[in-house]
Amino acid sequence: MFDDNQEVKDTRIHLCLDCGKCTVVCPVARYDPQFNPRLIVQRNVGQNGTNLQDETIWSCLNCYMCLERCNYRVEFPEFIRILRTDAFGKGVQMQCSHGGALQTLTHLMAGENLHQKRLGWLPPDIELSKQSDTIFFVGCAPYFDILFSEMEVNTLEGVEGALRLLNRAHIPFALLSNERCCGRDLLLQGDKKGFMVVAQANMDEFTRLGVKKIITSCPECYYSLKVDYPRMLGRMVAEVVYWTEIMTPLLQAGELCLGRLRKKVTYQDPCTLGRGLRIFDTPRQMLCAVDGLEFVEMEQCREKALCCGASSWVHCGATHRKIQDERLAQAEATGAKMMVTSCPKCQIHLKCAQQSRNDKTPKIDIQDLASLVARSLD
Amino acid sequence: MNKANADIVVFVCNWDGLSCIEAAAQSRTYPASVKVIRVSCLSRVHSGLILKAFELGAGGVMLLGCESGSCYFGKDDEFSTKEYEKTRGVLGLLGLGGERLCLVHLPRGDGARFVKQVKKFMAEIERV
Repeated sequence: MFDDNQEVKDTRIHLCLDCGKCTVVCPVARYDPQFNPRLIVQRNVGQNGTNLQDETIWSCLNCYMCLERCNYRVEFPEFIRILRTDAFGKGVQMQCSHGGALQTLTHLMAGENLHQKRLGWLPPDIELSKQSDTIFFVGCAPYFDILFSEMEVNTLEGVEGALRLLNRAHIPFALLSNERCCGRDLLLQGDKKGFMVVAQANMDEFTRLGVKKIITSCPECYYSLKVDYPRMLGRMVAEVVYWTEIMTPLLQAGELCLGRLRKKVTYQDPCTLGRGLRIFDTPRQMLCAVDGLEFVEMEQCREKALCCGASSWVHCGATHRKIQDERLAQAEATGAKMMVTSCPKCQIHLKCAQQSRNDKTPKIDIQDLASLVARSLD
Repeated sequence: MNKANADIVVFVCNWDGLSCIEAAAQSRTYPASVKVIRVSCLSRVHSGLILKAFELGAGGVMLLGCESGSCYFGKDDEFSTKEYEKTRGVLGLLGLGGERLCLVHLPRGDGARFVKQVKKFMAEIERV
């Protein structure tokens, strides 16, 4: 079944030379000898489906490090997604982090008669253009800030910051009152059916409102809307853009000016945004456009950036904590006072590591890129 | 989501909470749509479990445990209060209404008050 599957063929898994370069660069394999991308391919290719005893498939971070290194561009993360989908369909239970709250939340958002009240946080000074065919896709930030309140997560500040910057740049946008989770985490953990339901609900809403352009600040939503939706649903109704990609041309043309902030910061490349969609420069250009901001790179950055250590709310454990410790130590070693990231999930996972390790992990301040840049406007 | 006649799930702690249910079951009847799930301590019931109950079709969830200071495990009732507040927030955002979740602390064996509270809760949900 597997060898004839077009999805599997598209991953080019058959080109795998068994060279093991993926395993050398894999952050999970470094701390967990049981996890070995090369052997996962060996164990699962040429069989009648997924090796259901292979529990290691749930530890992959989908960080694209293996894909970056592979000479034949074998799409191992996508192969893992296919294995997980097969295993999930056969009833294999994965270990959900946070008691499965995030998975259940997404399923609840798929409800047909759902009328969310998700815009209560919106500050009155933010100008919306209700008639605009451009929307800003907020993502799950309102939910994250409640569910991870004890970690002092402030992902909504990032959204607010992005909206303020769009206002300052005179780019009109509307917000959806009943936007669903993009569903990417469900897709990555193998729940394709769950993903399809929320994706279709979002797509129907875009079509109903005649949306022509979608701006996002969450890299996961960006990837999902830009890559997963057209691939899984067979069509996309709107152009999808990342907020820094709109802003930087305006900065370069002198049409938008940022303010001043005296801070030394470093930048955490979200895997999905960086290696996944090749957006490395514009977030850095945003930071460098803030007057007085000193920007330093971490030892591993851009294409080689280390993942924040968790993905799609499954199988978070000791290995992932070690990756997070390493990343936070790299950030601290730069001498920066703040680690800036443009992904709400990087913020959640790294703050979670800081909180659960007490004083053993560097306490560097972690902030969202948009929130920090928007602060310079005040 | 038609929640008018949906079940009420009561997560109940094994100690004072359960004694109230037992007392209610012996001397007074509580509505048949009330489904009781016994847990070791209410602090075990995190937002994931509460949301799961709603995903599976519950119309409301009640968390029933020991009164503050009487928790069998000391101060573990603080965890349930935190999870309760967080989950209420999430239910509010979802538009289901935070009122569909309630946290009740009762003294040991107070079946009468449990029946009263659960009936009041059901009436509130009908109004949502």
